[in-house]
Amino acid sequence: MRPRLKYIIPLMVPLLLLLLPLSAFPFEGMTVIQQRVVAIFFLAALCWVFEPIPIYATSVVIIVLELLLVSDKGIGVLRLEEGQSHFGELLAHHEIMATFASPIIMLFLGGFFLAMAATKYRLDVNLARVLLAPFGQDPKYVMLGLMLITAVFSMFMSNTATTVMMLSILAPVVAVLTPEDPARVAFALCIPVAANIGGIGTPIGTPPNAIALKYLAEDNMITFGEWMVFAVPFVIVMMVAAWLLINTLFRARQDTIDINIKSHFLKTPKAMVVYITFAATILLWLMGSSHGMNSFTVALIPVAIFSITGIITREDLKKISWDVLWLVSGGIALGLALDKTGLAQLVVHSIPFGEFSPYVVLTGAAALCLLMANFMSHTATANLLMPIMAALGSSMASLTPLGGEVTLILVVTFAASLGMSLPISTPPNALAHATGHIQSQQMAKVGSILGVAGTILSFVMVWVLNITGFLG
Amino acid sequence: MNKFNVICVDDQPEVLNAVQQDLKPLKQWLNIEECESAAEALELMEELDAEGQMVAVVISDHVMPDKTGVELLAEIAADPRFEHTRRVLLTGQATHIDTINAINQAGIHHYFDKPWNVDKLVGCVRSLVTSYVFDAGMDYSDYREFLDAQMMLRRLRIY
Repeated sequence: MRPRLKYIIPLMVPLLLLLLPLSAFPFEGMTVIQQRVVAIFFLAALCWVFEPIPIYATSVVIIVLELLLVSDKGIGVLRLEEGQSHFGELLAHHEIMATFASPIIMLFLGGFFLAMAATKYRLDVNLARVLLAPFGQDPKYVMLGLMLITAVFSMFMSNTATTVMMLSILAPVVAVLTPEDPARVAFALCIPVAANIGGIGTPIGTPPNAIALKYLAEDNMITFGEWMVFAVPFVIVMMVAAWLLINTLFRARQDTIDINIKSHFLKTPKAMVVYITFAATILLWLMGSSHGMNSFTVALIPVAIFSITGIITREDLKKISWDVLWLVSGGIALGLALDKTGLAQLVVHSIPFGEFSPYVVLTGAAALCLLMANFMSHTATANLLMPIMAALGSSMASLTPLGGEVTLILVVTFAASLGMSLPISTPPNALAHATGHIQSQQMAKVGSILGVAGTILSFVMVWVLNITGFLG
Repeated sequence: MNKFNVICVDDQPEVLNAVQQDLKPLKQWLNIEECESAAEALELMEELDAEGQMVAVVISDHVMPDKTGVELLAEIAADPRFEHTRRVLLTGQATHIDTINAINQAGIHHYFDKPWNVDKLVGCVRSLVTSYVFDAGMDYSDYREFLDAQMMLRRLRIY
């Protein structure tokens, strides 16, 4: 791809879509507003694929363009035809702006506060030290321990932060291995793999999960605890598979390996507050709605406690990954526009998906998602695919015996996290690759085998969930 | 992608050539500049700054006519425009007092004795530029393949 094309394509295609007459679109009864949303959707998709600008910037562009082009407080000359039937319904500007503070965003903010406090008070490193001890010194089992710890942490911290922490712990260990020992590759590779897969475990583990949750509202509501009931066993099976695979491909030559983490549990009052709040928040999340609070409300409790106690200070607030929150907001805004303008329904009804075999649709959707997630951001992939899958799932009657839209959304969500065969697939992969211990083709081999195996396993999982009556 | 500047200062052209040669592996993403005096280095830094370019590292000899390396590095350290610029002294002739001044006044980040070890020099520059990228608020992901992995991991740990 020539460098200039990555700017030209994302600009020209949406512009062309905007200038076409309505009759050029193969959808009966399409409105002007819907046409503008189509253009915004293509702009978003092309910007997320080619990345002429940072991916979070694309999200901001989506929100601002929606406000300017399709909101009730947008540019005046663009809504002169308001009220005419071919023009369509404008979106409320406050609804678009509210995507910045959607409950999903609040859930993530709570997760960020927990992770920051845990890191600041060294809870993460201390837990890693304690949990790693029982795995002894055999490189095989040390690696299993590292993978399990990475997976558990990435369920509650971001996959990237977990990878950074674990790779830092590993650096001195890998440095003493001889350069030709395959264990170097194994250790550096097991961390991003475990972090990517571990993120599947909870709704806050990785943004695609939270985005999925957004489309599983009302009838299909899945609570934090329910999510873990099926996702954690999935993570465990995948983790064992990944461990066996990496161990077979890159067997260590050394008999023992010693990981020495210098750290002590802090016992100050503030550290105690962090421990208790951390445990209590997770407990409240696991209890589902038995206490009347949903996971979004619970997520704001640590935000308040850490702010009151000064555990998270003004300076710490500046370190929050606003880019991740904005990236998700843009996706929610895109979904909002597709849904509220009726565009998603219009498109889904115009294409006879109902006649397709549901197996073809499920397999096709999962394969498309896996492919996209390998080459672009997992969150951007979920942002683009999830609104379409939700509309498709709810309108395809033939899917109902298989678990309906929940089935479709879950396999797509899991596939989004399993795209991990390239250094560019995920930030954890990029970091591990930057250590210089792994070659791209080694990562590609492990990543693609696990990606395909994981997607197949996710089909088995939804099948089990369906026959046990867990769905619906 | 912006290239970061690394400025080498020495009054002996053969030393400059040798440093330039040693830093060749970094040329893909770093722009290596040569200056034969402290005054020339300061002038070049002014120019680069005016063009919005970034000076990541200054590697200076100590004993030079007019202004010494320690004086040069102390001046750079005191200039708020170059507060993130990393300072390296590369010398074989610094006295005990010079060394004390290099630490206390010029706040140098690294000290190399002549003759220097090539791998260590390259590793040091890579690591210093990596920390510069973070301090200067640049997006590290644009340079990820070039940066020093250990320093990058350390800087990505928030606490």
